[in-house]
Amino acid sequence: MIMENKSVKILSAKQISIQAPLLEEWMENPLSYNEDYVRAVDPDFKQFISAGDARRMGKLLKRALATSLSALHEGGIDNPDAIITGTGFGSIENTELFLDALVREGEQLLKPTQFMQSTHNTASSLIGIHTHCHGYNSTYSQKGFSFDSALYDAWMQFRIGRIRSALVGSHDEMSPVFSGFVRKAGHVKEGEICSEAAVSVLLASEGDSAYCTLEGVKLFDTPSENTLSKVLADMTDDGIDAVMTGMSGNSENDSWYRFLDAMLPGVPQLRYKHLFGVNFSSSATGFYAAASCLRNGKVPAVLSASGKPVECSKGILVVNVVEGRHYSFSLLKPVCGR
Amino acid sequence: MQDRSVLITGCGIVSAIGQDCGQVLDSLLKVRTGVGPLKYLKTGHTEFPVGEVKLSDEEMERLMGIAPGTPTTRTALMGMIALHEALGKAGLSRDELKECGFVNGTTVGGMDKSEQYYLDFIENDTRNAYIGTHDCGSCSEMIADRFGRFKMITTISTACSSAANAIEMAADMIRLGEADIVVAGGSECITKFHLNGFNSLMILDHSQCRPFDAERAGLNLGEGAAFVVLEEAGHAAARNAKALARLSGYGNACDAFHQTASSPDGEGAYLAMTKALKESGLKPGDIDYVNAHGTGTPNNDESESQAMMRVFGKDLPPVSSTKSMTGHTTSASGAIETVICILALRNGFIPVNYAFEHPMEKGIVPNMDLHKGCRLRHVLCNSFGFGGNDSSLVISAVE
Repeated sequence: MIMENKSVKILSAKQISIQAPLLEEWMENPLSYNEDYVRAVDPDFKQFISAGDARRMGKLLKRALATSLSALHEGGIDNPDAIITGTGFGSIENTELFLDALVREGEQLLKPTQFMQSTHNTASSLIGIHTHCHGYNSTYSQKGFSFDSALYDAWMQFRIGRIRSALVGSHDEMSPVFSGFVRKAGHVKEGEICSEAAVSVLLASEGDSAYCTLEGVKLFDTPSENTLSKVLADMTDDGIDAVMTGMSGNSENDSWYRFLDAMLPGVPQLRYKHLFGVNFSSSATGFYAAASCLRNGKVPAVLSASGKPVECSKGILVVNVVEGRHYSFSLLKPVCGR
Repeated sequence: MQDRSVLITGCGIVSAIGQDCGQVLDSLLKVRTGVGPLKYLKTGHTEFPVGEVKLSDEEMERLMGIAPGTPTTRTALMGMIALHEALGKAGLSRDELKECGFVNGTTVGGMDKSEQYYLDFIENDTRNAYIGTHDCGSCSEMIADRFGRFKMITTISTACSSAANAIEMAADMIRLGEADIVVAGGSECITKFHLNGFNSLMILDHSQCRPFDAERAGLNLGEGAAFVVLEEAGHAAARNAKALARLSGYGNACDAFHQTASSPDGEGAYLAMTKALKESGLKPGDIDYVNAHGTGTPNNDESESQAMMRVFGKDLPPVSSTKSMTGHTTSASGAIETVICILALRNGFIPVNYAFEHPMEKGIVPNMDLHKGCRLRHVLCNSFGFGGNDSSLVISAVE
């Protein structure tokens, strides 16, 4: 049965990134870097995964499992109805090992475990296996738009009435070799930190304690000005406190967000890429940051383009633009009565 | 909100058994396999038969009017050929695409070029343009951009069920009113990367694959692309678009058993099929044909047999795997086999499980007769992927 547009609660959101893992310490004491390629700060995985299992898993899988189990634990749900994951490259370290051996050593003695982990859906299926979840399970791989696509699918699954809870994540690791490749390809630009991120968000139609609510998700390819202004008008109808942007300080990237100056004049602009760096799961770190701010009722100064904290009472619109063509809009609102 | 019915108003296909719907239909009716010795992929593993699309990259570029030297991939080129046919059949103009969604399924993406230029990527700047064609999303963009700009694009990567899940997501978008038309499917070329990957897992047959046969010894890799145009019924009627079939239900479930093996009782497959039936409002007895995932690996065919027997009991409808003709087209297979199902529905026949000879002890016996002239009402199409990403579609005839 199809539901009318109905909000969904965000019960928890967890990250492993270049900030302190599984914590919100970045809000007050962010780690800062001078390097242009930084790997994630890993937590102690022992609390989530046995040493034997961990040995067989690449970094992406360990992080995906840790953020997932941590989000499920905090949200008080053991078996989500859906597991939906985004990843731009999948387990690129294992992909690279297999590819490197294939190219340099030829078509002999290639390792099946590396091949198995090279498939993009290993994170989603690993979480399914680990939590014994036989429900809806899918994986999106659309560059820096992968999390947005996964979130959009989850939003649809709720609306269509198929699920009451969903674990939505996005996970990308970055090997030294591929960090060079993504620079060459322009996926990570001048002035941006090439980073890694694993983010898991637990959504549910009900729940006593939630960070905030998700009110809608919209995706576009190359929208017209007219479409953009209509979407912004629709989604900010009840007013918002701030707009979370993917501005990074790179002039080409930031130009893609300029429409917000004109179409949402006076609305404080937020940013997160200076803290979390840039990778195919970046937009998930922005979404996580916005949800965490709404949980606290305020945006810390470190996220604010103006350098001043922003009080939250109405909501944050999360906007992501990839390569100047893929646009996503997700509206988060504070939980009523906060 | 009223539930909106999802019709299929266009389809396109390129595979080892034909480069459009007409050629594929002809091969299915003549039971002609496209699996044979390697010709296009440059690999030392010439011992493995494959289902290649019988066109070189250059020939595909010429067909699609892609200027020589333009960075592209075989996955993208095959996708363009199939999308070209699908959009043509649905009668969609470049301008109309602005209101349509596009959901592609792929996993290998641009690996064909990455494995060729990997050392250049590291050592020099001569092939940098191909770094940007490596990932799955870029393949979808190249396929779509050949025809214009869609309202939105995304890519599903659930291994061998990618295209089936793309079709499911597209159908959800239509049912929810997110779009009136969404084009969905998948594309995947054979690469050395996954030929060697499947070889390392020891699941490739050294001879013609034999799905559901007691002596089956693995799969044959195939390649290809297919897309279907999904359209809301009222929208199709308003623009006089001819419906080819109806997507009446679909299910997605996770086997949650193993990263590369299916559970012995086929739990994920069973759940996917039962969910699809439930959503379509049909009973198992309403299904007139099952296009099985049927890869030819000992594990899949046994597990899928169990799952089908659990769903259908004693009244199992005719079942066949068409992978013994197309090869296993991995991420594209869900769309390739959806188009095969549409061809079967519209032309009144049941595809044959080519190369089957010996019944399995505890398996199903697949269909070996075309049943030409039969009337199919509803068919079930299975796609199962690594990681237990199992999906089933119910496709129905339209009057």
